[in-house]
Amino acid sequence: MIKIHKMWKRYHHHIANDWILKDVNLIIPKKVSVGLIGHNGAGKSTLLRLIAGMDTPTRGNIWRKCSVSWPIGLSGGFKPSMTGRQNVKFVARVMGGGDDEIQRVIAFVQDFAEIGKSFDEPVQTYSSGMQARLRFGLSLAFDFDVYLSDEATAVGDKAFKEKATKAFKKRVGKSSLIIVSHSEGIIKDLCQAGVWVHEGKARWYEDVNDALSDYTDSLKNRTIKVPTAS
Amino acid sequence: MKKRTPWQVTRAVWYAMFMREAVARTMADRMAWFWMLAEPILFVSIMIFVRTVILGRSRMLYNADFVPWLIVGLLGFFLFRENMMRSLGAVEANSGLFAYRQVKPVDSVLVRCFLEGVLKSFILVLFILGGYLLDLKLIPDLALEAMFAWVSLWLLGLGIGLVVSALAGLVAEVGIIVKLLSFPLMILSGVILPVTMLPHFLQPYVLMNPIAHGIEVLRLGFFEHYVTLPGINLLYLWYWIIGSIALGLLLHIRFEMRLKAQ
Repeated sequence: MIKIHKMWKRYHHHIANDWILKDVNLIIPKKVSVGLIGHNGAGKSTLLRLIAGMDTPTRGNIWRKCSVSWPIGLSGGFKPSMTGRQNVKFVARVMGGGDDEIQRVIAFVQDFAEIGKSFDEPVQTYSSGMQARLRFGLSLAFDFDVYLSDEATAVGDKAFKEKATKAFKKRVGKSSLIIVSHSEGIIKDLCQAGVWVHEGKARWYEDVNDALSDYTDSLKNRTIKVPTAS
Repeated sequence: MKKRTPWQVTRAVWYAMFMREAVARTMADRMAWFWMLAEPILFVSIMIFVRTVILGRSRMLYNADFVPWLIVGLLGFFLFRENMMRSLGAVEANSGLFAYRQVKPVDSVLVRCFLEGVLKSFILVLFILGGYLLDLKLIPDLALEAMFAWVSLWLLGLGIGLVVSALAGLVAEVGIIVKLLSFPLMILSGVILPVTMLPHFLQPYVLMNPIAHGIEVLRLGFFEHYVTLPGINLLYLWYWIIGSIALGLLLHIRFEMRLKAQ
């Protein structure tokens, strides 16, 4: 279970330091997968980082009563000058366990990512899809209670997306997901509940379809302006 | 997943980071090992050339030969300087790893300093062995005192490194100033010219510099009867070590999130 109590968050910058999240109260129950929905810049990724413990709230508290993965995203987490294998080894060591465990993690990731010989080449030579495969495989090598994903599957090809979805469905009942995605299909497919992040508030929906329809409605009410280049 | 104690997590992080830094530092390019040895050798050679050919052979030291004296001072100073400079870049170089919440900015500094000290100690031993073969009188007279002074310089580098790595993460200009200071510090610490040569009115100011204390005590460990300034005091150096490590750790605790976010 993850409990967020009266949480506020802002970042300090030279120019602006407006609140990104204002008084967020959420209880995410065990084994319920959640989709975070909202427009660009609404604070979805910030919320995910806070849940992951990468960042601390400015006010309020977050309790994590389960093991939570790092956010599996589009960037970060790897040292570009080192090979895929070295990066995987590093994470396996951070997560603890003996040599057997490290070997198991490496074998798992190599098998899942299917990037062939590139596994022993520096990560900076990878395409974004290959990096996504490595990242995804790496997080699945550990048994977390909750996996956090920030558009992790967005750049993958069709085969990889299917594989990732299948891997997650296999874990339903054992662990859950909290995902940020702009693909309705993925959210509907994997999540039961939804959170709509809008104007600094986060609203909880038992049914993810309600969250999606509210979000879509809010978009309809906006007049869409397309600036013309002149 | 099994729950680990904070100490187990920290140990796992240090082990993982140490292995990664060690590979990066020694295998990064094919000449890395060569330069680790060649840099101090070249530096010593240039300094000997400057001293003997340009400045002439006037006697400046009592009870110590110039070449071993210079080698000991340079290696001691390099130990401090490299610990400080490597720490300065440590947080930024590892910023990608803070995605794993177990990894904290302070870990990158601690691990780098540990690795740097091990490498520099290894080079010191190589120099002592090489000096022995060349009959350079590089065997320390008081080995324990020399080792203690060596560890003290190492810890001073760690303490100052902790402070500047945190400050440079908050104010980028600190990094530039520290880089600018590294060369004048070598002169002010009596590495190349002996502190006893300085005019009398300047000596109290030199004695404010903790590096000078560390280097002179290190030399006293190598050359028992070497004559240095009367104010050289290991305790003063340790005030700096304890103070800077405490301040550095405090800064890292207070500004952990700001350092991660940069």
